[in-house]
Amino acid sequence: MFDASKRLLRLLAGNAAAQRAWLDERDWRWAGVCGAVIFFGGGIYGATLGLWRDGLQAVFTAIKFPLLVFLTCGANAAFNGCLGQLLGSGMGFRQTTLAILMSFAVTAIVLASVAPIMLFLLWNTPPLAEGNALGGHSITLLAHVGMIAFAGVIGVHRLFRLVVQTSGSAPAARRVLLGWLVGNLLLGTQLAWVLRPFIGSPALAVEFFRTDPLRGSFFEAVWRALHHFF
Amino acid sequence: MNDEPPALPPRHSFEYVPMDEPPTIWSVISALLKQPGQVVYELLEGRAAAVLGALALVAIASLALYGVVIGSLAGGAQFWIAPAKIVGGSALAALICLPSLFVFLCLNGADARLRHVVGLLAASICLMAILLMSLAPIAWIFSQSTDSVALMATLHILLWIVALGFGLRLLSKSAVIAWSGASSRLGVWTCIYVLVCLQMMTAVRPIIGRAETFLPSEKQFFLTHWMHVIGASASNYR
Repeated sequence: MFDASKRLLRLLAGNAAAQRAWLDERDWRWAGVCGAVIFFGGGIYGATLGLWRDGLQAVFTAIKFPLLVFLTCGANAAFNGCLGQLLGSGMGFRQTTLAILMSFAVTAIVLASVAPIMLFLLWNTPPLAEGNALGGHSITLLAHVGMIAFAGVIGVHRLFRLVVQTSGSAPAARRVLLGWLVGNLLLGTQLAWVLRPFIGSPALAVEFFRTDPLRGSFFEAVWRALHHFF
Repeated sequence: MNDEPPALPPRHSFEYVPMDEPPTIWSVISALLKQPGQVVYELLEGRAAAVLGALALVAIASLALYGVVIGSLAGGAQFWIAPAKIVGGSALAALICLPSLFVFLCLNGADARLRHVVGLLAASICLMAILLMSLAPIAWIFSQSTDSVALMATLHILLWIVALGFGLRLLSKSAVIAWSGASSRLGVWTCIYVLVCLQMMTAVRPIIGRAETFLPSEKQFFLTHWMHVIGASASNYR
């Protein structure tokens, strides 16, 4: 019988045997559950991201955060499938996509679980109305980038035992996961930049998308925030 | 002929067995200190509601008592404000960190249930609170001998770290007992919990000193606040 909550617990525990069986299923329910977890978990965390700027920004970010995950997963599906097969993952395109969807589901659960902590951080951050609004923005940006990166690494790490099983060797599994991580990070960060604002700049209006979405890059923004913070 | 019975093997303090006595406040305190495995058993498979109630009562009373000692430096209204903030702040910090503890335990391979995680977290906070209460006379002696908020803050943080170490050790060992497949690696969660507790105490300041308002009007991170406290103390001695 299909029990979504039991499956999610096994996914969090990194139960490789169960995960491998799920990859071979021709049933879309599990992919749907992972998608729903990403939608709700990512949405909850996304709301904490935008709340510092404005309530409306929180709603926008709650929608855009899961969208970012789905876009990254979809746009990188071909690359991840190719890379996985080249590096000996032992998985096809469909299996690779499902594995990465499961990894993002773990990331979304971890992010949803730390949402109260990020709300607490928000409570302690200088608000937009105060003089140190730029400081508040930098703290919020750095804390969230750190937390999302951490949750992303956990998500990928959960797949390690699964890929060891499918590939038959730990070094090959490491290469595959590193390749997926770098690929998703590179595309994900730039997609995040294109879909901005997530937190919302103190000097700019609250919007769903910026009017010039393709100008600049994510890494330049993080560099500027680090420069301001230190 | 030797009539003496053979010596009983020493009882392991983390033996996962039911409590010898009915769960009262005293029996729970005793078990928590001597046989924590019994408390873990009751929380997971035994009289969970009664043990959890006793743990909560002991934790609240112990933290409140320690709060009174903290408030004794400033005196006056701080005698009730400090305990209220310590109890409320500790409860809120635990509540904020509970979802992430549950998820981190699951990530470690635990087949955890939320009510079990609540019980184990309550046990570890209760142990921490009992240890803080036992250290209260030391803190009180110092608070009667100095007016320095910086010195008292340092002392309270040191005592809290000692108590927290024992509390988190219990949590980690309990996780291994409760879910044999789970590893005891909770390092990242521990860092998060410590940061949240430190920030919580900054967010509800002042606890040691005195202020015009119940809660601060200015938002600060604990490191910034700590630098201010140390800086103010240093300028007093110049």
